[in-house]
Amino acid sequence: MTDPTTGEQRTGAVAGPAAPASDDHTDAPPRPPFAHASEAEMARILDFYEVAWEYEPRTFPILWNLAGDVVESFSPDFYLPDLGLYLEMTTLRQRLVRKKNRKLRRLRELYPDLRVKLFYARDFRALMLKYGKLALVDALSGTPGQVMPDREPEPAAGPTPAAPSTRRSVTRRTTPAPASEARR
Amino acid sequence: MSDARDLEADVGEVLLSEDEIQARVTELGRQVSADYAGRQLTLVSVLKGSLPFMADLMRAITVPVRIDLMEVSSYGGAATESSGLVRILKDLSASIQGEDVLIVEDIIDTGLTLNYLLRYLRGKNPASLRICTLLDKPARRLVDIPVDYTGFTIPDQFVVGYGLDYGELYRNLRFVGVLRPEVYAEPA
Repeated sequence: MTDPTTGEQRTGAVAGPAAPASDDHTDAPPRPPFAHASEAEMARILDFYEVAWEYEPRTFPILWNLAGDVVESFSPDFYLPDLGLYLEMTTLRQRLVRKKNRKLRRLRELYPDLRVKLFYARDFRALMLKYGKLALVDALSGTPGQVMPDREPEPAAGPTPAAPSTRRSVTRRTTPAPASEARR
Repeated sequence: MSDARDLEADVGEVLLSEDEIQARVTELGRQVSADYAGRQLTLVSVLKGSLPFMADLMRAITVPVRIDLMEVSSYGGAATESSGLVRILKDLSASIQGEDVLIVEDIIDTGLTLNYLLRYLRGKNPASLRICTLLDKPARRLVDIPVDYTGFTIPDQFVVGYGLDYGELYRNLRFVGVLRPEVYAEPA
């Protein structure tokens, strides 16, 4: 479904199988259905550095109507439990980023103890440059809807304040094979 | 991009001159020497980028030092494709159990590599474990890591030189500079 506050397409849980893992480990947990390829790439980076993560584990209400119903909410893309940090990624156009910034400010006002980092398109680009994967950014930038093609939409549903997600993945702790790739 | 002259031409702005770097490294050496006065220190350099900084810093430190080298795989290369996990490519040559250890880094940005390294080295039971980085790019930080010694805090720009590379080049520049965007916009 499309988030009415940002225009960003953000689908929910999918009934079908999760996207395949990035490698051939058979004991790896299933991947959640990421909303965007940049999120999948971030998950691979976090896995690589053995940083545990959860995908969209909570939804935070940020606006209510006079009747007390939640009319706007925010679901950060990642939660890094070992770091106590929420991570929200966006590759959106600047106009939409402003709306996301506004939501983030509201989130911080209402939940001041929450640690949230907004990862902008320029941050993702810098990360990919560092890792020599700049071509990936060009492939992802400006993709309409910001949605991976293998993800199915779920029926529209109201926000679920602070509800734990059923989509959860943590980093793998498998023994790696030898390689020759060195860090910078 | 085949010789040093061309490499310098790829740098759009000199962020830190050779003199500025040397002056700051000398200061850091004094500070480290004062903090570890009367003790022996093990410097652990994280390859490859920290090599020039390590070479200069160790000579600016006046307390007895041992040195060791580590190399950690980086995301995005062959290692990523084959395993998907970070690994130690070059481990310490000697035990650091009970030693005062100072990790010497060229740059800290996301903190992901250093976070991994810290966890790894803590498991080797050093008496103390601190961090010294030449460059800190806090705008990029994902993992909050307390840095004990920082040479320079720099803006969010892609820098090369004094050990820092792009495509394994530019490490031999004597200064730190901002790479012109058109250099990395070109196909590698």
